[in-house]
Amino acid sequence: MLLVDFIRDAVGLTGTHVGCDTTQCGACTVHLDGRAIKSCTLLAVQANGSKVTTIEGMADGDTLHPVQQAFSECHGLQCGYCTPGMVMAVSDLLRRNPRPTDDEIVDGLGGNICRCTGYINIVRSVKRAAELMAAS
Amino acid sequence: MQLRPGSRSIVRVSDNPGPADQRPSPPMPDHAHAPHAPFHRKEDRRLVTGHGLFTADRKFDGELHAVFLRSDRAHANIVSLDLEAARSMPGVHGVFTAEDGKRAGMTQVLHMLTLKGSDGQTPRIPPRGAFADARVRFVGEPIAMVVAESVLAGLDALEAIQIEYEDLPHVIDAERALAPGAPQLHECAPDNMAWVAEAGDSAAVDAALAAAATVVRLRVDSTRIIPNPMEPRTCAATYDATRDHYHVYSVTQGVNMMKRQIAVAAGVREDQVTVHAQDVGGSFGNRSAQYPEHCAVMLAAKALGRPIRWIGTRSECLASDYHGRSNLIEGQLAVDGDGRFTAIRLDWIADMGAFLTAAGTSSHTRNPVVLLTGVYKIAALHGRWRVAFTNTSPIAAYRGAGRPDVNYVIERLVDEAAAKLGLDPADLRRRNLIGAGEFPYKTPTGSVYEATDVPGSLEKAVKLADWDGFKARRAEARARGKLRGIGMASFIENTGAGVYPKDQVDIEVDAQGRVHAYSVAHSQGQGHETTFTQVIAEAMGVDTARVFLHEGVPDRTLIGNHTGGSRSLVGAGSVCKLAGLKLIEVAKSAAAAQFDTEPSQVEYHAGTLTDRASGKSTTLAELAQRAEGLRTQAEASIGSTFPTGCHIAEVEIDMQTGFTEVLSYVAVDDCGFAVNHTIVEGQVHGGILQGFGQVFGEKAIYDEQTGQLMTGSFMDYAMPRAGDVRHVTIEENCVPSKINSLGAKGVGESGCTGSISALANAMADAMRPLGGPPMDMPFTPSRVWHAIGASANAH
Repeated sequence: MLLVDFIRDAVGLTGTHVGCDTTQCGACTVHLDGRAIKSCTLLAVQANGSKVTTIEGMADGDTLHPVQQAFSECHGLQCGYCTPGMVMAVSDLLRRNPRPTDDEIVDGLGGNICRCTGYINIVRSVKRAAELMAAS
Repeated sequence: MQLRPGSRSIVRVSDNPGPADQRPSPPMPDHAHAPHAPFHRKEDRRLVTGHGLFTADRKFDGELHAVFLRSDRAHANIVSLDLEAARSMPGVHGVFTAEDGKRAGMTQVLHMLTLKGSDGQTPRIPPRGAFADARVRFVGEPIAMVVAESVLAGLDALEAIQIEYEDLPHVIDAERALAPGAPQLHECAPDNMAWVAEAGDSAAVDAALAAAATVVRLRVDSTRIIPNPMEPRTCAATYDATRDHYHVYSVTQGVNMMKRQIAVAAGVREDQVTVHAQDVGGSFGNRSAQYPEHCAVMLAAKALGRPIRWIGTRSECLASDYHGRSNLIEGQLAVDGDGRFTAIRLDWIADMGAFLTAAGTSSHTRNPVVLLTGVYKIAALHGRWRVAFTNTSPIAAYRGAGRPDVNYVIERLVDEAAAKLGLDPADLRRRNLIGAGEFPYKTPTGSVYEATDVPGSLEKAVKLADWDGFKARRAEARARGKLRGIGMASFIENTGAGVYPKDQVDIEVDAQGRVHAYSVAHSQGQGHETTFTQVIAEAMGVDTARVFLHEGVPDRTLIGNHTGGSRSLVGAGSVCKLAGLKLIEVAKSAAAAQFDTEPSQVEYHAGTLTDRASGKSTTLAELAQRAEGLRTQAEASIGSTFPTGCHIAEVEIDMQTGFTEVLSYVAVDDCGFAVNHTIVEGQVHGGILQGFGQVFGEKAIYDEQTGQLMTGSFMDYAMPRAGDVRHVTIEENCVPSKINSLGAKGVGESGCTGSISALANAMADAMRPLGGPPMDMPFTPSRVWHAIGASANAH
């Protein structure tokens, strides 16, 4: 069983999405012990003993995670299907690199596909998230 | 939420090139770096926290899972199909094929175009059921469905199905399909011709071409695109035997249109089907259509008495989602000695794939007829459309639905004419554009364009893009060994006129005074919950936080159109304004009864109603608490609006690698009144990148020899990625529409329609110094590199 199927079907957390079957789109990105991974490309059993964080675990009660806040503020989502994966990928990118350049942001988004936004507002969202995280 | 009332013109630049980038760029406006105002859509909270409800997120008690056996060949007879082993596999509850579908009356699909063509014939609509019947006609066509306890059990059983094919010759190219001797797909359609139509005055165009000082000819291929919304196609069904009624859960653009199509395809009455949807993960035209899988899960739900769920994989979607575009167009443009256009002729082959979809034919024939003159004053127009069957996935609407295609050929012709005549493409357009004072403009093919201002948009775009400074930038690039090009596209679009005769919106107030509106139009990312509630809040003078939009609510019997053709704000959105205003009148009457006065004596302000004479007041909430409640319904019949614009792209090609960078992109749009500028920008961004995708690499490729889909995964199909287009400047040049209460014209497709032509013209401009015939899209690095290598002028 793939980790993403475990998350969606066994645990019932449907915020983690499946958008492809070849590890290209990143909709299924979650954190495994704090690192962003694509949960379609890991067996559930391989995650045994690890801490898995999904999109449902990012907000603190009513307070959105800064990356979630930034995506909403900057209109970084339209249909919202890729968004959970984007949020998980970006939050790990900013953990590793709190002030990324444009090129580093674009590189960091290389494993996540969005069909709606043209990515322009997603790049803005990443920059805004970096600001919010620096201020907090 | 930021309502920016009165602000009709905005300029925002995403990012300047970084400090390391020393290349000269078009000047950026001073206020480009104004801080981004905080903005939250109503839909955002659930979507950013993982609490959206997409179709695959729904689970049903007792559900079973469907998986499909699909054709792995382009054209073949099914000699035998042995299901026995699969039926006896563990966890399998049923296996279904064409025989089951036919018994249930699933034999046809809805096709919306019913006009007679130029040969006096209506479209030849081949029968299509839930499964391929004795013969497969494209790779990915469903043949059988296994229903099992789990997806894995189903997949195991699929492998146990024994199928024997007898291969038939196939044809994947529409031009070849129409040629004598081509393999034939359908008995009802001799020569693979589904429909043939003509529009305009052929003799007048002949005369204009003969008399022209210059005639430009160009053949373009608006390539086959796989729309690829990020949510894979998915549906589920339950069957209620007590009412002989199906509940179908599906990705959709609007439940009414989906229900009608499903009913026709499933051979049942519309009132036997309820369609359910909440969040839809993108569509771009693709999710408006009914699919065989809807019928298949309905069939099994009834036969097995259990909920049936199918979740498509991306590979299945790439092969069997309806594709978009695939139009091969030969164009001729006649120009007189003064640089004025005198005639356009198009000879158009519309590839429909293996079957007709509800809107595929009309998208690629009727829309181009409406727009045959583009944005230009041209006396003589003529077009011929031949609609062909091929052994490929069927074609349906994709963002723009024929509008980008017709714009592509016209705008490419204009730029080739400018090059041939040695004229500035902007100047050539200035000589021919329909002037701002010449509306309503009736085209020679009978369309009436409503007022707009394309010349104004062109002048704004030219300024923003520093068009006149381009020569210096090109020279500087050439000194660095780069090919730099600039391209312009002016365009006009007819927004969807609607399938249903009117759009209705229900509106009501709950006991807490919150306003609820209900519409058929269904967002797939457009943000209706935000914009439509803004419209109502403004009409009623209440806080947007107190207004809620509900889409696709099944127990409402609203008449209304799906979201498509850029029409939702024009249709349902403008009716939201009427609904808000009507609700105030209803509330005044109710308050007047309470105050024992006339409605005319009641004043309404921001949710409070006051009797002028007595000073007594009440609120919407109090009125809603009466037994009869507080509700009404508004409606309007609204046809096509005509958004226009002018876009300019600037590109640079690395001659060593053939890689192209889009250096700047300017979009000036007349989308009519814009309710929410941030959402308008988002729509334009997304459209531009989908246009970029088509121009620079997205293309569904079938192998000619085998008919196999070569772009069958995201490893092979070139989805646009972050950073492909970085620098976009957007300005609105609004001329409000007069045909709806908001003045909206729509903006969903303009980014795509403008960008395909602008980017392709920029590439043609960049590559013109190489000599040789103009190259067509896709401008992949490989194709561009080879073109550079083949050029004598490149070295």
